[in-house]
Amino acid sequence: MLENSWNNILDWFNNRSKRSSLVRSFNSSAKNAFISGNAPTLLKAKISKGNNLYKHQFSNWLNTGFRIQAFAGRQLSKSELIKIGEVVLSDEILVRRLVVLGWDTLEVHVDKGGYGVRFQLKDHITLSI
Amino acid sequence: MNKILVIFLHNISEMSENSINKNLKTSSNGTNWWIWIAILEFVIIGFLIYKTRKRKKLQLKNDFPKEEIDFDNIIDSSFNSDKLYDELKIKCHPDRFPNNEKLNKIADELFQKISQNKNNSKTLLKLKKEAINKLNINF
Repeated sequence: MLENSWNNILDWFNNRSKRSSLVRSFNSSAKNAFISGNAPTLLKAKISKGNNLYKHQFSNWLNTGFRIQAFAGRQLSKSELIKIGEVVLSDEILVRRLVVLGWDTLEVHVDKGGYGVRFQLKDHITLSI
Repeated sequence: MNKILVIFLHNISEMSENSINKNLKTSSNGTNWWIWIAILEFVIIGFLIYKTRKRKKLQLKNDFPKEEIDFDNIIDSSFNSDKLYDELKIKCHPDRFPNNEKLNKIADELFQKISQNKNNSKTLLKLKKEAINKLNINF
């Protein structure tokens, strides 16, 4: 019992550091792409509250959303936001990792206001039986 | 017999008391070795903790090799894959090779791969090269 809860505490700390390192590497790649001119929009990943309705077995207690904010200097259209989301969801390894690390919601937002799109990560893991 | 045993035990207890008193006297006069042994133990324990932490950090780094998730490709694909996909799906469509069966087959395979990887610009670029080589298409 005690060992189990100790393991849970260790796992929590371990996952926390993995989550932040994933967010950091996403942000550094986005910065490099923006600076070099490959991307016209600066993307920034954040950990957000997430959606309670999208919870799954591996979801964290709090902060279960992986939010990508787009700083474009203009209002991005819905199709552009969906495209960014679809590209992230098409990378199977990334989606699996997000799910394992306790995220359940992918959000793509514009820089101001709450305008954005939301995806349930569980729907995008291809599980073969 | 019992008397002998009692005397023997009494002697042993006296001897042990004497030895403890002797040790206390020497420790108060000279250097106390027990403290040094305890300090040494602490140093060894500290060193072991440091080593295990370092190993864990290395493991964490190895768990997330940068090559595994290609964020550069993901961000590039978010903005540039659409154009590439549109270009490839027109140029590599199998209907463009109705007379040549061999080319039609290759184009069909390529077209399927292109539509599977429409959100991955790295793979689309590879497929573009393949199309240039196999189908002799000029982009």
